[in-house]
Amino acid sequence: MKLKEIDRTAMQAWSPALQHPIYLATGTSAQQLDATFSTSASLEIFELDLSDPSLDMKSCATFSSSHRYHKLIWGPHSMTTGESVSGVLIAGGENGNIILYDPAKIIAGDAEVIIAQKDKHTGPVRALDVNIFQTNLVASGANESEIYIWDLNNFATPMTPGVKTQPLEDVSCIAWNRQVQHILASASPSGRATVWDLRKNEPIIKVSDHNNRMHCSGLAWHPDIATQMVLASEDDRLPVIQMWDLRFASSPLRVLENHTRGVLAIAWSMADPELLLSCGKDAKILCSNPNTGEVLYELPTNTQWCFDIQWCPRNPAVLSAASFDGRISVYSIMGGSADGLRQKQVDQLSSSFGNLDPFGTGQPLPPLQLPQQTASQSVILPLKKPPKWIRRPVGASFSFGGKLVTFENTKAQQQPGIDQQQQRHHVYVSQVVTEKEFLARSNQLQEAVRSEGFVSYCQNKIDMAQADFERSVWAFLKVNFEEDSRVKYLELLGYRKEDLRKKVNVLESCEVGEGQTNSDFLSIYFAVSNVDGLITQALLTGNFESAVDLCLHDNRMADAIILAIAGGQELLSRTQEKYFAKMQSKITRLITAVVTKNWKEIVQSCDLQNWREALAAVLTYARPEEFAALCDLLGNRLESEGDSLLQTQACLCYICAGNVEKLVACWTKAQDGNSPLSLQDLIEKVVILRKAVQLTQAVDPNAVGALLAEKMSQYANLLAAQGSIAAALTFLPANTNQPNIVLLRDRLCRAQGELPVGQEALKAPYERQPMPKARAGSVAGQIQGPQAPAQQYYQQGDNPPPPGFIMPGAVNPNMPPQQATSSSYNMYSQAGARPPYPQTYQATQQYSFGTGGPAVYQPQQPITAPASASYPNPAPNPTHPYLPSAPSHTMPSPLYPGQPQPSPTSLNPASSFPLPPSGASFQHGRPGPPATSVAYALPTGSTGTLPATSDLPASQRTGPQNGWNDPPALNRTAKKKKVPDNFMPPVPITSPIMNPLADPQSQMQQPPAPAPPVGAPSFQPPHLPAGQPVLQSPYQPAPQSLGPCIVPPAVSKTSTEGAPGAPIGNAIQHVQALPTEKITKKPIPEEHLILKTTFEALIQRCLLSASDPQTKRKLDDANKRLEFLYDKLREQTLSPTIISGLHNIVKSIETRSYMEGLNIHTHIVSTSNFSETSAFMPVLKVVLTQANKLGV
Amino acid sequence: MIHDAQMDYYGTRLATCSSDRSVKIFDVRNGGQILIADLRGHEGPVWQVAWAHPMYGNILASCSYDRKVIIWKEENGTWEKTYEYTGHDSSVNSVCWAPHDYGLILACGSSDGAISLLSYTGDGQWEVKKISNAHTIGCNAVSWAPAVVPGSLIEQPSGQKPNYIKRFASGGCDNLVKIWKEEDGQWKEEQKLEAHSDWVRDVAWAPSIGLPTSTIASCSQDGRVFIWTCDDASGNSWSPKLLHKFTDVVWHVSWSITANILAVSGGDNKVTLWKESVDGLWACISDVNKGQGGVSAITEGQQNEQ
Repeated sequence: MKLKEIDRTAMQAWSPALQHPIYLATGTSAQQLDATFSTSASLEIFELDLSDPSLDMKSCATFSSSHRYHKLIWGPHSMTTGESVSGVLIAGGENGNIILYDPAKIIAGDAEVIIAQKDKHTGPVRALDVNIFQTNLVASGANESEIYIWDLNNFATPMTPGVKTQPLEDVSCIAWNRQVQHILASASPSGRATVWDLRKNEPIIKVSDHNNRMHCSGLAWHPDIATQMVLASEDDRLPVIQMWDLRFASSPLRVLENHTRGVLAIAWSMADPELLLSCGKDAKILCSNPNTGEVLYELPTNTQWCFDIQWCPRNPAVLSAASFDGRISVYSIMGGSADGLRQKQVDQLSSSFGNLDPFGTGQPLPPLQLPQQTASQSVILPLKKPPKWIRRPVGASFSFGGKLVTFENTKAQQQPGIDQQQQRHHVYVSQVVTEKEFLARSNQLQEAVRSEGFVSYCQNKIDMAQADFERSVWAFLKVNFEEDSRVKYLELLGYRKEDLRKKVNVLESCEVGEGQTNSDFLSIYFAVSNVDGLITQALLTGNFESAVDLCLHDNRMADAIILAIAGGQELLSRTQEKYFAKMQSKITRLITAVVTKNWKEIVQSCDLQNWREALAAVLTYARPEEFAALCDLLGNRLESEGDSLLQTQACLCYICAGNVEKLVACWTKAQDGNSPLSLQDLIEKVVILRKAVQLTQAVDPNAVGALLAEKMSQYANLLAAQGSIAAALTFLPANTNQPNIVLLRDRLCRAQGELPVGQEALKAPYERQPMPKARAGSVAGQIQGPQAPAQQYYQQGDNPPPPGFIMPGAVNPNMPPQQATSSSYNMYSQAGARPPYPQTYQATQQYSFGTGGPAVYQPQQPITAPASASYPNPAPNPTHPYLPSAPSHTMPSPLYPGQPQPSPTSLNPASSFPLPPSGASFQHGRPGPPATSVAYALPTGSTGTLPATSDLPASQRTGPQNGWNDPPALNRTAKKKKVPDNFMPPVPITSPIMNPLADPQSQMQQPPAPAPPVGAPSFQPPHLPAGQPVLQSPYQPAPQSLGPCIVPPAVSKTSTEGAPGAPIGNAIQHVQALPTEKITKKPIPEEHLILKTTFEALIQRCLLSASDPQTKRKLDDANKRLEFLYDKLREQTLSPTIISGLHNIVKSIETRSYMEGLNIHTHIVSTSNFSETSAFMPVLKVVLTQANKLGV
Repeated sequence: MIHDAQMDYYGTRLATCSSDRSVKIFDVRNGGQILIADLRGHEGPVWQVAWAHPMYGNILASCSYDRKVIIWKEENGTWEKTYEYTGHDSSVNSVCWAPHDYGLILACGSSDGAISLLSYTGDGQWEVKKISNAHTIGCNAVSWAPAVVPGSLIEQPSGQKPNYIKRFASGGCDNLVKIWKEEDGQWKEEQKLEAHSDWVRDVAWAPSIGLPTSTIASCSQDGRVFIWTCDDASGNSWSPKLLHKFTDVVWHVSWSITANILAVSGGDNKVTLWKESVDGLWACISDVNKGQGGVSAITEGQQNEQ
């Protein structure tokens, strides 16, 4: 498309590639006159401003010259890369003169712009070229075979490349080789081209074809291949461009005959050697690939000839062409819309000539009639082939989990004729880890949590701590895990009972003068040696006896008495004896508090500088139920009223209180900076404190406050970004509905190849999304009657329900293949997982893409799919998968109207599961997805969205809500037990209904059938045997869709099992080939079955004797998570040492020596590969510990 | 010749596109590489692919030299063309999905200089808005701003629809980075960022990490990579910082999910990773090719394009 135009009849030169912004210099052409017949000349410089949408080019400078020009070039000599204009404009004049201009001075408006000038040539200088290797070398050509080489650094005397060629002739073109710097070529209108070697100072080869019709108007070297060049012929009888290779210089390598009349100018793109511009007397500007001869592009030009054409060196998509109608046009080779430009062009043309009367005839010239192109197509197509400069050869993109996807194309250049398949292209996936220390510390923390070695972890932290505060925080945290934590807290605060005792003794032995007494007991503590201080310490540590002694010693009888009352009957009586002897009172408030146990008031009113004492008092006296609240209160005061130092101390109060949330808030406030390590600092403490709280207080370990949740999710994000996805999952708060966490969990799970687990998963993470409601009706025609929903339902499941679940007794041999090939959870995962996103559709119904709809949802498909698609050769398979269903309905249609009913029955078995809740949720989950998908499968449905659901039993109706990510773990259990029980061998097919369906041909003829083929071309699994019927493909994709979103949770990263990770296509293939026997999950090897039975039995025993719900929950969870172990057993991927260790544990369980079991456990963990055992060993430890505790 | 490779939201699937007109999807879980789909429909080299957020299903957009944008969707395990947009007059060089909070919106930048915005309106219909002449002689890259509610970094009360301001950045052959903003349903040029002296090859708006600062990386034919930051909520004062001047074209920039690392891909086939230090200076932390620095660049898998 045309970008700019200038109304000049001029030669043109682009600024060199280094120059920014881009300029175009124009010099009045010596050979053309415009309608003014003016012979005045000028040199102008325009700026190419592409951000200006108008066609005008901004004129930067005009210099009135006394010369007109045959050739103008802009060399980069002495160029700097700055923003200033630089380089040298070199002009070839009419009288053998070569003039050097300084473009910077022209733009600056200087009067003196000429750097140098030489009149050395004979006749007009038509040929100029700058050597691209030594930009100070310029070659010029003129009449009489004159060629000079000019050194711009020493312009006075030019050199010659050798003896003049004979006969003498004009030199019309000259060009330096693009690869070899001392090679120069010149050409003359006679059609001969001469190649000069400047080192030898002579012509080394002459190129000419023998018909003598060539009339050279253009000469250009190949940008990349040193020996190739093109010559263009101006002769209308031979309007060709010849490509020569000097290695074979007897005849042209290739002749481009795309012009119908003589070629006036050519230009070879430096940015892409496959682009050669040529303009001719046929008024065409063509862009061809000189290497093939193919015309790639024809510029939408006017009908005038162009006599000069130039690529812009800096912007490879831009070119300029000077035409005989007095215009220089700037084009983009990339196509684009030219609307609005064309009209302007015509207007300007008319007006520029309109009022002229150059001949004095009194008659204005008629407007120039430009023959308009007949096709008023405003859209200009781009080059047929993408230019080299837009082909991105390299890229690196981050993706979730700190992965970096990189690709590169080492052979960036594609040579024609080279099969692309020979080029190997790789995409690399790398794990980027930038926070090594962060990860290391995170691993330590996880290890501590896993091994429950909290005390040593804290101790280690204390040892490592740089700052006192850090040390005390860890000391406080550590105390949480020790016996008698309150006493230890006191010690940490500086109150040791033993120390006090010593001091009391000292006091009693040597009389100490009464120290300062202060009514506010809290301010006296720093004078530890005085009596009140000692009393206080004694009180704070609960040492009544010492306190009473001190009071007595200090003549504080009332205090002594009162204290004695609190101290017990015996002490009281002893004290009373001495009471009357002495009487004085000082520290009444403390005494009051101690006696009345009103600690709240103390905490509220004490001087914050004495927070330690207040905390100590609380630690000593507060009742367990008010202890945490008092610590909190003190922390709050410190935080809100104290100075910055005290604020941080509030953390200690919160640690005592076990208030995780407040600790997070306080710590966050005290620490600035968002670096991973500071977050790690916080999380370490929080995790440890949470563990402590879980040990000591009966709180829900999963309860997480908003702030903590945010921090934890930040932390998880960081871990994920470093590639530690599994670790990230473990730190993500489990019980929260915060959307960002739910989203992150979902993402992490899936990234790990698992399905989200946990309660919150019940909620579709994206369901909040408001979506416009979809229009109903598009597919309505395909659905017949009320059965449609059921039908859709089945189809949607697109892996029919496992035998025994939805349709008791109805065995579907070909469906469970997934189960067979991959881990057994596929099916459940699918059931649960599928709807996650579809659920959105259900809510809005809007995403049944119009095009996809019909293709994907043929009402008949459910039946046909298994029949024809899954069985390339139905014959060998004696049982028809869908037979069982046939008896259940009398409809002629192969739907499954009865299906909803059967499922309630399947509920019963479900309830018999060891984990009833899971069974229930399973039921919900399973029907759910289909229901959801119904909605989206039938954008309009027969009557809208709900008929489908309303046809379902109540239990199923809840399906959509329960949705896609029902905890797979639960399902797993249910399924594992269930499937084999209910599994029934396929019933032989007898139904006549099925026969037509089984026939692929008839299948095809059914109305909905056309759709399947649509799918066929788009997916051809590579391993598909070529001969397989096309019909097959429509269906095989169906199961496929499940694959991506469903990953068996059981498959851990290290799993070598092929199936879970296998492409859907593969799975499907296997499915088709698998015999029915393989439907069930791979069994656990018999010799290891005892592991499962023993562990399960142990858990059951524990469950029976466990009383508190928390333990029960733990055990339930353990039961589920041991499934990982069982899967590994099925896969037989565990190393022999682990296996034997597990058997040893089982033996110890049988003898009820759980401690021994734990020892074996520790041994296994310490000697095995972490990744191998991490999925189940911690769980096993929990079970053993519980069993030990419960003594079952 | 591969032109783009993108992982899906979860990092479990890889989409690649190539000069051979194909778009391929691989399952790359657990270090494997299994071809899931080979999508044919383009009639020219395919430049870029972009995954939509999974809440809309499994959707992939691809753009090609053939002037088409194709949106592919997986239905029942089959990848199918669900929409084909042919509204550009020249090569479509870049596609980018808007943050999922806005709905299903795709921005497409073309060599015809225009940027198209395709919004899914439900029921298979797409609404097209076109910014003509966004970048003279071509738009090379588009990148959406993260969905952040202006002036409030705190979660909006539930039930209240957040008042998002939609923005995206584009880079083009006019050497400019432009920022576009939707006002009253119309897209307007909000900012024109000038620093590059040659084609802007790529722009990447950094993911939001909860800070009020917006950050954009841009790279250019001129070998320069700039980091643009804007601290004020109105989005008016952008200031560039030169990350580095490379000796070759810089083709691609990509932020890590946590927005603290920038991957820069150069024409010399080098990929470097950059990180901003505490004092605001950008430092190269790794040359992925050479495996230097604090990064372990482990090649987990490789695949043959054909």
